[in-house]
Amino acid sequence: MKRRDFLKNSALATTSLFLPSFLPASLGGQFGGSRNGRILIVIQLSGGNDGLNTIVPFRNDIYYQNRPRLGLKPSEVLPVSDELGFNPGLQALRELYDEGLVCILNSVGYPNPDRSHFRSMDIWHTGSGSEAYWSTGWLGRYLDSDCEGCASPYHALELDDSLSLALKGAGRSGFAMGKPEQLRRTTENRFLKALSEASRGHQHEEEVGYLYKVMADTQSSADYLYAQSKVYLSKANYPPTAFGQDLKQTAELITADTASRVYYLSLGGFDTHVNQKGRQERLLKEYADGLKALVADLRQNGLLNETLILTFSEFGRRVKQNASNGTDHGTANNVFLLGGGLPRPGFFNEAPSLLNLDEGDLRYELDFRNIYATLLDKWLEADAGSIMQGRYQPLPFL
Amino acid sequence: MEKIQHLYWRAGFGLSPREWKEKQGLSLQQAIDGLFREAGADEPVEAPPPPSETPSRNMSEEQKKKLQEQERESLSQLRRDWMKRMASPRYSPLMERMSLFWHGHFACQTFSGTLALQQLRTIRRHAFGKFGGLLLAIARDPAMIRYLNNQQNHKDKPNENFARELMELFTIGRGHYSEQDVKEAARAFTGWSSNLQGIYTFRAQAHDYGSKTFFGRTGPFDGSDIIDIILEKRETARFITRKIYRYFVNEQVDETLVDELSRRFYDSGYDIGSLMRAIFESDWFYEPRNIGVRIKSPVELVAGIMRTLDVRFIDDKALVFLQRALGQVLYNPPNVAGWPGGKSWIDNASLMMRLNLVGYLFQLSEFSFRVKDEPEAAQRENAMRRLDATMDMEPLMQLLKGVPREGYFERFAGYLLQARPRISSGMLKPFTAQGSDWDYARTLAIRLMSMPEYQMC
Repeated sequence: MKRRDFLKNSALATTSLFLPSFLPASLGGQFGGSRNGRILIVIQLSGGNDGLNTIVPFRNDIYYQNRPRLGLKPSEVLPVSDELGFNPGLQALRELYDEGLVCILNSVGYPNPDRSHFRSMDIWHTGSGSEAYWSTGWLGRYLDSDCEGCASPYHALELDDSLSLALKGAGRSGFAMGKPEQLRRTTENRFLKALSEASRGHQHEEEVGYLYKVMADTQSSADYLYAQSKVYLSKANYPPTAFGQDLKQTAELITADTASRVYYLSLGGFDTHVNQKGRQERLLKEYADGLKALVADLRQNGLLNETLILTFSEFGRRVKQNASNGTDHGTANNVFLLGGGLPRPGFFNEAPSLLNLDEGDLRYELDFRNIYATLLDKWLEADAGSIMQGRYQPLPFL
Repeated sequence: MEKIQHLYWRAGFGLSPREWKEKQGLSLQQAIDGLFREAGADEPVEAPPPPSETPSRNMSEEQKKKLQEQERESLSQLRRDWMKRMASPRYSPLMERMSLFWHGHFACQTFSGTLALQQLRTIRRHAFGKFGGLLLAIARDPAMIRYLNNQQNHKDKPNENFARELMELFTIGRGHYSEQDVKEAARAFTGWSSNLQGIYTFRAQAHDYGSKTFFGRTGPFDGSDIIDIILEKRETARFITRKIYRYFVNEQVDETLVDELSRRFYDSGYDIGSLMRAIFESDWFYEPRNIGVRIKSPVELVAGIMRTLDVRFIDDKALVFLQRALGQVLYNPPNVAGWPGGKSWIDNASLMMRLNLVGYLFQLSEFSFRVKDEPEAAQRENAMRRLDATMDMEPLMQLLKGVPREGYFERFAGYLLQARPRISSGMLKPFTAQGSDWDYARTLAIRLMSMPEYQMC
């Protein structure tokens, strides 16, 4: 069944009744216009995923010299080219890769890389250089710009109980939702609802007025998202983990044509200083199996070509393994893009050089801000220059 | 009394009900004098139990790991202890408030309780003294030296991190120095280091004794010369004064007032205590445009609730959980620029947690909240579901003595809310218990503390 037919037939297609009253009437009547455009899903691998054991240069002697025990043997990896193979945990991703749905960008980073989790994650979230401290995120600034005059505060949704810096803008912010029913429980407070009602039309002082506005937005959004979460119940085979369920929730909301173009998810545990091998493989399997289910879901509903998935981590790890069969914080790393209509699937650029290192770390070749700018410009059709606060040449991966 | 209450919200964390009664007879000037007197007689911060391991070069991996764990645990205890201090009328509210300000200004992350305590004590020692003294002490503070990589600042390969932030964030602000000034200042701070035990050390062999040209002056400067030269600039006085004004008075800056204050600050040789007195003793500080217009930071909010309701958390984890869930973890500002404050505290999740917080304390509703994991975490933490605490409503109820039931709303709203509520007591009727006076008063207080107006100070 096609998604549109499904929605038409669904008894719950009356979800529009739950639409917050402050949404423009044009959006209230039908789902068609509610989302208005393509979807971007961002997946953050927290802790610093080891890129060299994710995409393995299994013909490179230097790799094995640096990782005598941690290096993955040629027989273990899933080869995708003469030189590179996937971590065995990525079986499901390889299938998607073989279908032409994946584009891999190697050696992504930024100048003067920072090896602190917090700082480097900050840099990835804000899109600043390593010498600047910004208090808004790149997706938050997208909301600030693109959303001028648009009514729905859940235009970008993070599948978590709290909101990441990436989604905080100066005037608008994304919306955090761990689970729809839990979110609704936080807004069920009858007193707070009555307060919203009573204060409507009041001219509040600026700051307290802002709190009233966020409160009212949250209340109506919670009801709306809860209703949206019941529209389509996926049958795809997601991992039974928190991350797997977040992906499932994402697919369900997208399929229900929820008024959000950006979804933000995290999978943590990649800080593998000790006994990395088993843990990383398990995490990558959870990631890849989840993506496979998501792709099946989106494809079944005719949404695969409208969706793009970006996966990043705050940094890669050092080329040389440490004494505890793990790896320490490094620099440049690979970034994955996944979607139905990628013009250049496969490897976007060559594998990182293991000869030309910067004090034992990979040198970056692609600046992540060029990737953001490309996504903003070509995919979300936003003003990349003002959002990124600088000129970053789009890359031809889209 | 409104003025004293405003003063206590900005110079402290609000008044406990008992304090509110005690201050009734005081003049504003007496209240101000009292705050400064208490700050001068500050009790030192208690140290958590010291780690069993002493750091040394030939520690085993095992010992290192153990030490790290102990330092983390003692840091966690400092986070809890400081909030309890802010909440308790036993300690000087102005000292806690001022050190919280400097803690955010000299933002610094550390994983070591020993270093964090050392830095906090340094800040408190200089909190009301001369800004130059505080600055020099911070430049020699091991936690800061490590955080901004001054350990790696060597004459053969200068590291500019500290020198840059010193000017951009700690003193004069962007636009008043050149890249060359940063380079020269970095050379002057070479060799300012800390040893393994976390004690400041000057490494002469790493220091660049050569001539430097900084802000148009040339000489064989070292770090303290650089600080002196920065302080000679009036822009530095203005930068600090403006930040203090935004924090203690209003985010909307009255530039004329800041000009006047910063002129006096400069002329006093950067005397912080006099600057703070000038603010609290001014008339404009108590104008309506400056009252109830500031969004409480998370620790201010929680400390204020604890003070009002005499809250004691049964589970110590709750205090750190709240800091993380609401987005202000002590000793862990987001970056060297500190907490941006204001509206940035607010998103849908943090706001609902704030508005429901008092309800959760009274166990009126269940919740489930997972804070974001530390990047080092191997697996996700469980969600927090309860805030087990004891409270004492009695002192709050004492404020109603002699007040007729119809007057409860006015009395409590006046005491609890710095931003005047737009609703009337009639609107609250369906949400308050209509039985005994005690029940009515109790539910009334909970409702008022759940209003967006309660988030303001």
